[in-house]
Amino acid sequence: MQKLLEGIASAAGGWVELRYQARRSKRLVVRNGQVEESSSVDLIGVGVRAFVDGAFGFASTTDLTRSGIERAVEIARSTASAAAEAKKHRIPPLAKAELARGVFPLATADPLSDHSLEEKLELVSRIDALVRSSSDSIVSSEVSYEEMLDEKAIVTTDGASAHVFDAKPTFRVLAIAGKNGDQTRALETVGVTGGWSELFASKTPEELVERAVKLAVDQLGAPYPTGGAAQVILDPDLVGVLSHEAIGHTVEADFVLGGAITAGKIGETVASELVTMCDSGASEYVPHAVGELPVDDEGVPTRRTVIIDAGVLRSYLHNRETAGHFEVAPTGNARAYTYGDEPLIRMTNTYIEPGETPVGELIAGVKDGYYLRGLGQSGQADSNAEFMFGVREARRVRDGKLAELVRGVTISGNAFAALCSIDAVGNDFRWEHGAGFCGKGQRAKVDDGGPHVRCTLTIGGQQDAC
Amino acid sequence: MPVSHDLLDRCREAVSLARRLGADAVEAFGQTVEAVNSTVEKNDLQIAKSQFETALGIRAFVGCRVGFASTNDVAQLESACSSAVSLAKISPEDPHNVLPEPVGTPPIEGLYDPSAAAFTAADAVRRTADMLSLAESIDPRVILNDAWFDAGIRNVAIANSAGLAVEERGSLFTYGAVATAREGDRVSSFDFQFDATRSVAGIDVEPPIRRVCEHALASLGAEAGESFRGSVLLSPSAVSEILVGILLFQLNARNGLRGRSRWKDAVGDAVAMPKLTLVDDGRLAGGVATATFDREGVPHQKLELIRNGELVAFLHNTYTAHATGCGNTAHAVGSARSIPAIGPTNLSILPGNASVDELLSGMRQGLFVRRFSGNVDPISGDFSGAAKAAHLVKGGRLERAVSGTLIAGNAFDALKTLSGISEHRERVYNLTLPHVRLENVSVTAR
Repeated sequence: MQKLLEGIASAAGGWVELRYQARRSKRLVVRNGQVEESSSVDLIGVGVRAFVDGAFGFASTTDLTRSGIERAVEIARSTASAAAEAKKHRIPPLAKAELARGVFPLATADPLSDHSLEEKLELVSRIDALVRSSSDSIVSSEVSYEEMLDEKAIVTTDGASAHVFDAKPTFRVLAIAGKNGDQTRALETVGVTGGWSELFASKTPEELVERAVKLAVDQLGAPYPTGGAAQVILDPDLVGVLSHEAIGHTVEADFVLGGAITAGKIGETVASELVTMCDSGASEYVPHAVGELPVDDEGVPTRRTVIIDAGVLRSYLHNRETAGHFEVAPTGNARAYTYGDEPLIRMTNTYIEPGETPVGELIAGVKDGYYLRGLGQSGQADSNAEFMFGVREARRVRDGKLAELVRGVTISGNAFAALCSIDAVGNDFRWEHGAGFCGKGQRAKVDDGGPHVRCTLTIGGQQDAC
Repeated sequence: MPVSHDLLDRCREAVSLARRLGADAVEAFGQTVEAVNSTVEKNDLQIAKSQFETALGIRAFVGCRVGFASTNDVAQLESACSSAVSLAKISPEDPHNVLPEPVGTPPIEGLYDPSAAAFTAADAVRRTADMLSLAESIDPRVILNDAWFDAGIRNVAIANSAGLAVEERGSLFTYGAVATAREGDRVSSFDFQFDATRSVAGIDVEPPIRRVCEHALASLGAEAGESFRGSVLLSPSAVSEILVGILLFQLNARNGLRGRSRWKDAVGDAVAMPKLTLVDDGRLAGGVATATFDREGVPHQKLELIRNGELVAFLHNTYTAHATGCGNTAHAVGSARSIPAIGPTNLSILPGNASVDELLSGMRQGLFVRRFSGNVDPISGDFSGAAKAAHLVKGGRLERAVSGTLIAGNAFDALKTLSGISEHRERVYNLTLPHVRLENVSVTAR
């Protein structure tokens, strides 16, 4: 396929990007002892993007013959021409870059293909049973395993020719507890770039069960907090979500051009000097982060981009189009989910650099506040960095010590105000978002994480009747 | 956009192949999607796209074991059938893994407009250009952060080894926009509006663009709100975000079987105020989700789910109908890339008898919420999150736009205490919803 795409590109004339992608996915879901899904989905095709007169056109096809792909090139070109006629501001020439060439294999000591589907289904079934047998209060369980194996060939007329292999497995454990008509749920997950043993390197399936069951059961009958501003400790999961969802999207250069709050603020102080935030295609500090990829879907090698350096905004995240606009180098953040999607600016692994304070000292410094762990069922942020996240597990902190569990907690605020309020950064580090996806019209596997941090946020809770 | 003709033949071929490879029963679901699309970002046209894809999904049954495989490469059909059979063989038996029998039903007219076949990516580009010009002419402070025009023809075919063989073609044009308003350093909350039609002649981009501009401008200049516990009036969008997910979770028969629906034994019980009637209608004229049959080939029907506050029925597919002994309500949903799940078609809350102004006038102190961004726990019913594009209500009137306001409550309690439903309803994709006024909601200002 690589040779075929190179041949078509060399004969194409003009700027064309051709991307072959073969995705082979498997999904096994067991709920309450019943296999609800054992499925295999193959998705194979070529996506073509053409750049004509300062506008893009895109076409995708499942016809992988030379004539089929050449037809897609034609359609992409004519579509780009139609777009150019309607476009108010033509896109300036794409930024030049050292484009990737060669084969980029997946780094794993234990390929997923070495483990049979029978073995994977046996594990999922066993763990599902373990959830229900772990406590009398558990009324429902669900355990799932998914794997997504990708092979890509990325070829552009200006020199990229990369052959990339990737694998991203995930494992999820859901426990639902019930008592006296009250029901609570807890979800624990792992997800990596890599193979079978890497998937469970940070937490074993049994550890996921223990955490999910304990949290679901403990939440039964737990009180709700009173809403208002509070000093909080965010765990690496919530630090990652804050970094990705509330800050990261506002520095995606397409959103910057659309009026995001970071527009025109490069060089300004936007966070506490304790904060250095980055996005990296590599797995910094801890291996196998799920957003790991060597080459983006424009053929640009990924890299570590410092977004905020000691509190000062230093860089946006770019594709070749926005890098051309801002006259900087592309950062390798152009990503497409399937062959049928055009590359968009997406994050890879987004995080805050670890600091120097032991986690115990972070907690000890809180007189009256909360320890918050993990993203709940939803989260959202706007381009003005206003955010609202549900919290998976929340504990009161009183006089520097962890106290009772509270439920139904949300946190909200302006993400930059939250970063400015950080008064201590932990010396730990974890990736925590491996099982999730980021949505921006298309999905993307991204990771995020960091150390624990201490800051001030608004807790959403309950008001007394007036 | 070309049109394919042999999809049902491919499905029949897959049924034969899988039977030959060891399946006792088989279902093949085929779909072709022929689509063009044009998108706007930051007030300018971004990209135009063209897509054609065929995909087949095969469910193979070995005894009562089932496996599923999907491919978008028709040349790999035998390999996909083989994967489905292999997956079935390693799965445990479940006596409720069965296929529906064929049931004849008249096709629904008007799902396909032949002129859709001539609709090109350039046509989609022109429609998005119209949306941009209109927004600019309404108010230059409005930014269309995202806008899109999608035109698609979807062919669906299903064959199973029980003799079911159905096919249908539909065209759908969907268009909408996400907008904010900006004045100096002040940026409004974003608003989202959308519309859809089945025919080229039915395309009218003006109403959603006018609405999105009006709502974005209305939330410009929002300031801090007030904290209280009281009345909250939800827009149709906010109703979809706070209440509909919970309703659908509870009404999904699969969740009843899983022990997750607290309503599993509540048929005949009051689950909401008598003002509330909830209906699903897969045959609704002009509905986004209208089709003659569901993901398993079972004919769609109109179904009352909650009547005057009383739980009447659950959403079923073939599996849950067999497992519970209830009738199959034809609510299998999904694509060729997924096994049939359960979901609504065109879902609506029937209109109440109050105008939106009348609902507002009954609020001494309250909050009008146009969008909600937050957590809604389908198990406990707890919701908590940010009220977006919200307005403080004082003395029965909208007083001012507020930002940074959180609302929290419990959806099950809210259903039983809701104090008003508007006569006016709006379409939110496949949902048709009124404004709904809730009571005793916690409102927290930052």
